[in-house]
Amino acid sequence: MGRALLFVILVAFVSPAMAEPVGAPIPLGIAVATTSNVALFGEEQVNGAKIAEAYLNARGGVNGTPVKLVFQDTGGDEAGAINAFQTLITAKVTAIIGPTLSQQAFAADPLADRAKVPVIGPSNTAKGIPQIGEYIGRISAPMTVVAPNSLKKALALNPQIKKTAVLFAQNDAFSTSETGVFQEAIKALNLEIVTLQKFQTTDTDFTTHVTAVLGSNADLVVISGLAADSGNLVKQLRQLGYKGLIVGGNGLNSSNMFPVCGSLCEGILVAQAYSPQADIPVNKEFVAKFTEAYKKGPAQFSAQAFAGVQILVEALAKVEKESGKKITEMELADVRTALNKALRTGSYMTPLGEVSLDAEGEVHQKQFYVSVIKMSPDGKAGAFELSK
Amino acid sequence: MSSAWFLQNLLNGLSIGSVYAVFALGYTLVFSILGIINFAHGAVFTLGAYLTYSLAVGQFGLNGLLAGVSLPFKLPFVLALVVGGALSGLAGMAVERLAFRPLRKRGADALLALVSSLGVALILVNLIQYLFGAEIYSFPADVFGSLPPAIIFTVSGKLVAVRSVQVILFGVSMSMLALLVWFIHFTKQGKALRATAENTDTASLLGISVDSFILGTFFISGILGGLSGTLIGVSFGLAGPYFGVAYGLKALAVIVLGGLGSIPGAVVGGLVIGLAEAFLPPEMSSYKEAVAYVLLFVVLLVRPQGLLGNDAEQKV
Amino acid sequence: MDDFIARYGFLFVTIIQQALLGLSLYFPLMAGQLSLASIGFYALGGYVAAIMGTHPELAAFRAFAGGFLYPLEWMVALALSFVLALVLGFPALRLRGIYLALATIAFVQVLGVVVLNMPIAGGAVGIFGIPQPFESRLAYVWFFGPLLALTLFFIWKLERSGTGRMFFSIREDELAARSMGVNVTWRKVQAFVIGCCLAGVTGAMSAPFLNTWNARQGTFDAAVACLAYVLIGGARSKWGALLGAALLVSLPELLRPLKDSRMILNGLMLVVACVYMPRGIAGLLARSGK
Repeated sequence: MGRALLFVILVAFVSPAMAEPVGAPIPLGIAVATTSNVALFGEEQVNGAKIAEAYLNARGGVNGTPVKLVFQDTGGDEAGAINAFQTLITAKVTAIIGPTLSQQAFAADPLADRAKVPVIGPSNTAKGIPQIGEYIGRISAPMTVVAPNSLKKALALNPQIKKTAVLFAQNDAFSTSETGVFQEAIKALNLEIVTLQKFQTTDTDFTTHVTAVLGSNADLVVISGLAADSGNLVKQLRQLGYKGLIVGGNGLNSSNMFPVCGSLCEGILVAQAYSPQADIPVNKEFVAKFTEAYKKGPAQFSAQAFAGVQILVEALAKVEKESGKKITEMELADVRTALNKALRTGSYMTPLGEVSLDAEGEVHQKQFYVSVIKMSPDGKAGAFELSK
Repeated sequence: MSSAWFLQNLLNGLSIGSVYAVFALGYTLVFSILGIINFAHGAVFTLGAYLTYSLAVGQFGLNGLLAGVSLPFKLPFVLALVVGGALSGLAGMAVERLAFRPLRKRGADALLALVSSLGVALILVNLIQYLFGAEIYSFPADVFGSLPPAIIFTVSGKLVAVRSVQVILFGVSMSMLALLVWFIHFTKQGKALRATAENTDTASLLGISVDSFILGTFFISGILGGLSGTLIGVSFGLAGPYFGVAYGLKALAVIVLGGLGSIPGAVVGGLVIGLAEAFLPPEMSSYKEAVAYVLLFVVLLVRPQGLLGNDAEQKV
Repeated sequence: MDDFIARYGFLFVTIIQQALLGLSLYFPLMAGQLSLASIGFYALGGYVAAIMGTHPELAAFRAFAGGFLYPLEWMVALALSFVLALVLGFPALRLRGIYLALATIAFVQVLGVVVLNMPIAGGAVGIFGIPQPFESRLAYVWFFGPLLALTLFFIWKLERSGTGRMFFSIREDELAARSMGVNVTWRKVQAFVIGCCLAGVTGAMSAPFLNTWNARQGTFDAAVACLAYVLIGGARSKWGALLGAALLVSLPELLRPLKDSRMILNGLMLVVACVYMPRGIAGLLARSGK
């Protein structure tokens, strides 16, 4: 007990004194997972956010004041997300982008909401996220529209399809809700689900699942999962002789698929909330800058993080315009409140297309895409090709 | 239940089960000498895969410290496998020096080695992430030359399909097992190892240098871990620095099921769990993760020393 | 100071919460049993509180219970843990040493899979929007603090009681204890059940504390972390769990300035602590006190 107290006192001395104005450059918090087994996504988010910082500051930041991203690792758990959020809130950021997982958002977002710090969820797709509080919004759309579209695309390619096999990652929040949408759409299209298989995102050996799919004589396979597991599943399906079409959910919208299934990724229809090929000026610049920096195209997580930073910067500019004062001359608390309000007005042209946040903080995204994976013959390079 | 269906699941189960077995052997060897479970074994498994990848492919991604680096040389896969295995063995020795020996010398609570090996695992996994990033790496498809992706044949009119890499997994694992059995039963070092496992005090009276044999055991255990990691990596890709964790846990179930410290037990345990997972009915797929642990629990309650363990003494 | 409380309030309470989990392992260890099952009970207790706090069919009950909802959650978690621990304890505690540890890990793993398959537990997303008794995270010290004090007092009394001495006699030498007429199995189960009940109640308190509960709570990782608290803190002292939790929970936070390499150093500190404090922090303090 004595030790804990000593520790409390020690840290009290090094913690900074209260200071109210907004710092220059304007600090924006990024709380994503750069350690733990979620780090694959967190790293993509960090990459996208860094491009946004450079790109937006080169264009003058917030009416001439640059922004500065403050990164804090959340790890993969709830406590880590809470700690990262607390660190950022006391570091006087104007807003927070994060955390990576929906489960973490349910734990950490209420704290930011109580501290009246605006939060933009870059990848939280679960039901109920914007409803956590007034200050909570997201730019990651739940995929209710696009999943059926990709099924229709599959039917257009092969009208003979009757039997579908549905597989999903049971321990992934996004995949379990997405598969529900898929299953309803399948029924609505009068197709039959001949086998329903569950797996874990940590699974690698899918031979038993594939045996069941092959045994069911399915002529369409629908997968909701993440890149590594889905990539392995596709690879094993193809190697063991499955010839029919494969439709993948939004989790498969990642170039991380390519190293896993290689040339066998060819032809998967993927439901996308973001396409690097989208014909939008800001997206073209984003893709060019990203490719220049990282030698590969951006993933959806990177684009969503970019969009998050972008809408914060644009909303901050709106706050300046409305108040007639520079952000750096305003009180932090006022900026946070005004920013939260400004975020929910108007629309933003981001790499994701035109997005807006409604009063509740829920995202409204105009464009969704269905792409086909095209691989180079040696299986080393791949691309998502928009299907028109 | 057709014979094709049966054969298909049998082959699936044997293939993955054989890798479980090789991996679990690394645990069980250390346990047989020290009576302690080496929690860093899963990290060595992961490290082995990354090392072999570096030697055989030498291309790094965009996130770790090694971002954009290409190694100037590329070893043929078989050579990379051997060198990567040897390096994993050295990593196993490093684990021993770092996490086990200092505690042994101080006569600390044996349980503490669980925590210190866990610490080493934390170091290794995060070091891998620091260097390589969390992204997915994979071996090129032609790593074994131009094999067909799968062997497909018919049994009583039904198709049975086996991935070529499954056959390789099974073959390599079984050869490793044979090699290990030969080493332990037919070489001087192997016999000394067994003597040390039986009783460290007697072994040191017989003039066997216990410390160097413990170190040697960790070397072999590291090789087994690293090689099985590479095999899994070749088959399924390297899905980030944590991809060994699930295997590490499952291998724990394997060695207890077979009997702690028992080499044939680890083999039987690995195959039993692999087969049990394969024969799980498709509509129960959501419980696949639990199969190994349910089996473990039931076997422990019925036969606490495991399937092939002898109930001489239970060390902690 | 306000900033300081905001920044480290959660961490401070987390230390107490994790110390309680560490203590839930300490009880079976008093009787020489290494069981990690209580982490499963932590998960279970959390689900009890999460379901009682959010299930739509219990809305009328919540309105009726008012502020007593929380103690009621603890009671239900306690009762459930007690029954399940008894059922699990008798067969499991026939096992000894590392076998018991591994069997209990298996229990934790199986429980995780079962929970993931139960619709009432909310699947992968879990349960969220759990009612909050306090606004500030630091205020949860009013939940966990008294429980910790009570637990430590209980251990203090137990150590001086006949039951406690029987626990210790089993830890020192099971055969000797048996020959002295100690009902070894029953005493082991007793220690096991107490630990599981403590973890269940801690879980029930933790669900509101974390705002959300899901299948990723109370996993193998959590189990070994708790074991680490006890061993690094000192497995033979009731203060060990608290000291260990204080060190290991705050370490990753104190290492934050190191950014990407912080978890490497965290692991290194774990090894160093094991090597240089073979009897744990409590052992070190006791020695320097003499």
